[in-house]
Amino acid sequence: MERSEIQHRVQKVVSSVLKIDSKEIAPQSNFVFDLGADSMKSVELIAGFEEEFNIEMDEDRAREVQTVAGAVDFIATYVQ
Amino acid sequence: MSDPEDRAQARLEPIFAPRSVAVVGTTRIPGTVPFDIFQNILKDNFQGTIYPVSPKERSIAGVKAYKYVLDIPDPVDLAVIVFPSSVVNLAMEQCGKKGIKGAIIISAGFREVGPAGVRREEEIKRIAASYGISFIGPNCLGVINTDPSVHLNASFARRMPKEGNIGFMSQSGALCTAVLDYAHAKNIGFSKFISFGNKADVSDIDLMMYLKDDPATKVILVYLEELTDGTRFVRAARRIIRETGKPVLVLKSGRTREGASAAASHTGSLAASDEVVDAALHQAGVIRCQTVEELFNNAIALAYQPLPKGRRVAIVTNAGGPGVLTTDAAIQEKLELARFSESTRETFRKSLPVTANIMNPVDVIGDARADRYRVALGSALDDDNVDGALVILTPQSMTDIDLIAEEVCNVANRSPKPTYTSFMGETDVASGIDILQRRNIPHYILPESMCRAFARANDFLRERDRPEIPPVHFQDVHPAVAQKILSAAAAAGRAYLTQSDAMAVLGAYGLPVLPGRLASSPEDAAVAATQIGFPVAMKVESDDIVHKFDIKGVLLDIVSPEQAKEAYRTIVANAHAAQPRANIRGVFVQQMAGRGEEVILGLKRDEAFGPVLMFGLGGIFVEIFRDVSFRLAPVPADMVRDMMHEVRSYGMLTGARGRTPRDTGALEVCLQRLSQLAVECPQISELDINPLIVRNEGEGCSVADARIHV
Repeated sequence: MERSEIQHRVQKVVSSVLKIDSKEIAPQSNFVFDLGADSMKSVELIAGFEEEFNIEMDEDRAREVQTVAGAVDFIATYVQ
Repeated sequence: MSDPEDRAQARLEPIFAPRSVAVVGTTRIPGTVPFDIFQNILKDNFQGTIYPVSPKERSIAGVKAYKYVLDIPDPVDLAVIVFPSSVVNLAMEQCGKKGIKGAIIISAGFREVGPAGVRREEEIKRIAASYGISFIGPNCLGVINTDPSVHLNASFARRMPKEGNIGFMSQSGALCTAVLDYAHAKNIGFSKFISFGNKADVSDIDLMMYLKDDPATKVILVYLEELTDGTRFVRAARRIIRETGKPVLVLKSGRTREGASAAASHTGSLAASDEVVDAALHQAGVIRCQTVEELFNNAIALAYQPLPKGRRVAIVTNAGGPGVLTTDAAIQEKLELARFSESTRETFRKSLPVTANIMNPVDVIGDARADRYRVALGSALDDDNVDGALVILTPQSMTDIDLIAEEVCNVANRSPKPTYTSFMGETDVASGIDILQRRNIPHYILPESMCRAFARANDFLRERDRPEIPPVHFQDVHPAVAQKILSAAAAAGRAYLTQSDAMAVLGAYGLPVLPGRLASSPEDAAVAATQIGFPVAMKVESDDIVHKFDIKGVLLDIVSPEQAKEAYRTIVANAHAAQPRANIRGVFVQQMAGRGEEVILGLKRDEAFGPVLMFGLGGIFVEIFRDVSFRLAPVPADMVRDMMHEVRSYGMLTGARGRTPRDTGALEVCLQRLSQLAVECPQISELDINPLIVRNEGEGCSVADARIHV
């Protein structure tokens, strides 16, 4: 899967879970600091990514991912 | 003003008296820490401007919110950071760019959670240092300032305390909430209320120094779980007490002896960390308390009333039994029942019923109303023979409790002497107690607590006003000799000095070692013993044998050259049998110490406090009763004396019950010399002089045996 496609689909999930306009979501956006994800939303984001990409992520490592670009990189390791 | 402790006031001003506060990372969800902190600042009527900072919200509780702290158009003095620990570094970076100089980091997830948390904490310290931000926390409850011109409740406590003159600081946030609840019930107010958490930047010492110069704080209360820089802590506490007269009260948890098991010497095992803490705090004039209740029992006495200038108390009561109970408790605390002057007794005679007891305790009789309490308390406080009053009330059918409480407050508040009260009971006396507490008259459920608080207040006054006497500095010492021996031992990798080296080090500092020398053969031992003079003691000399007695490596009372030869052979054979691989250098032959009382002097280098001296009487007093005293070295001259008097068995040395008085003057000098050695020989980690023989008055002391661990 192309990185640009992963990026697009990650933004879609983030926008849907955090209810933010996708224009406000930049690759360097920090889920907590910039996008306001609390611990509950972080769990929902992980679940959303797993469903979107039909993958099962290592939850501990997934929780360490802080930015949108980081999520793209992390998901890429599963879908490629 | 080079001492960083002196800069606490300016450094912490943005935290305690900000004109504007940003709550960074707040949310709209009630019942969460990020929301409750914002809400507390808002509802408790902060006198400055508050800015919520939230990545998602446009407003919180009707206040316009900002996505980033950098978006706030006005200057911000204080940031209260409530973001999860993973992004506190990003928040701190922005605070730095915004020019914010004070922060409170509430978030947990730092040093307390392990290596990843340590890294996060180091990162925020680095950022704070690069921008010159002072911060309290992380992992704390927050800060409260009750000053009406600030009125800041930057905490997630359930309530803001009332204004008062007690400054409270705590390492435990949870304890803070319990204390606030306790204080609320007892109408106790605070000037500042601080939870300092991991103290990654602003330390407990910084906060104490801030409270030292805080005009609203009269008494400083500290709850600690660890004392990492004990020496600085006690120095700061001493300075506060000396310079401002403000009492410092410490409640320290963790009274464990676990550290003792790993100690290398007798002194080490006796000087368990908590006993050293006790000694250090006492030496600084700090009042150490064992419970929260005791902390506040003492605090209200010190905060609300003048200090008692002496220990002569007048007890005013409306019941005989409680008066006796109070008398017992007073005597137990080494208070004295005041002897009233004739004019006071005359007033009592004229004003009280004939059945009243006009001696001390003054029993105003069960049917007493406010007027009798007024006369009895007022006259007692006016008496020059009285240093303070203890008022007891029991609720009898005709007792007008509230009126008596009001009258006691009126009289007490007019006097320059302290009045403490104990309205005994619970339900019937509740409204009276409430009056006393609201009018800042210390009240105690139990007369025993009241007497203890009175005694501690007077103890504090005496410690505060104790003249500063420097440690004695001896000129007739030979530090170079000691250093040479200690360096050689270090170079050889020896953990313990040999007997002859240990004696030489002590001798270099003028401690009274007995004549002796190392013998290398049975014949040499006979010669040495003859030269020294019989009787002699003989001890195996080996780097590898520490517990000489245990392996039968010591023989005493050798009275002839033949016995000396035989003793040499026996000692060496015993040593070989017990430790076949030990390198035996010979046998140390030493003059016998003679008769006297055996005492133990010790030194231990404590991680937090540096060199600590120990004193106790030998034998069962140390082994079974742990009857020992400690002081941090260098020990001021007067405290050496205190240290000796403090052990319960000290009477054994001064001629108690027909015993021969021993040479306590010489003993005092030994402790003073050991104090100097402790400071000047930092290589020594532990040292035992066990025993030191204290001979009869005027005959001096002798070091009979010593062990030095480097």
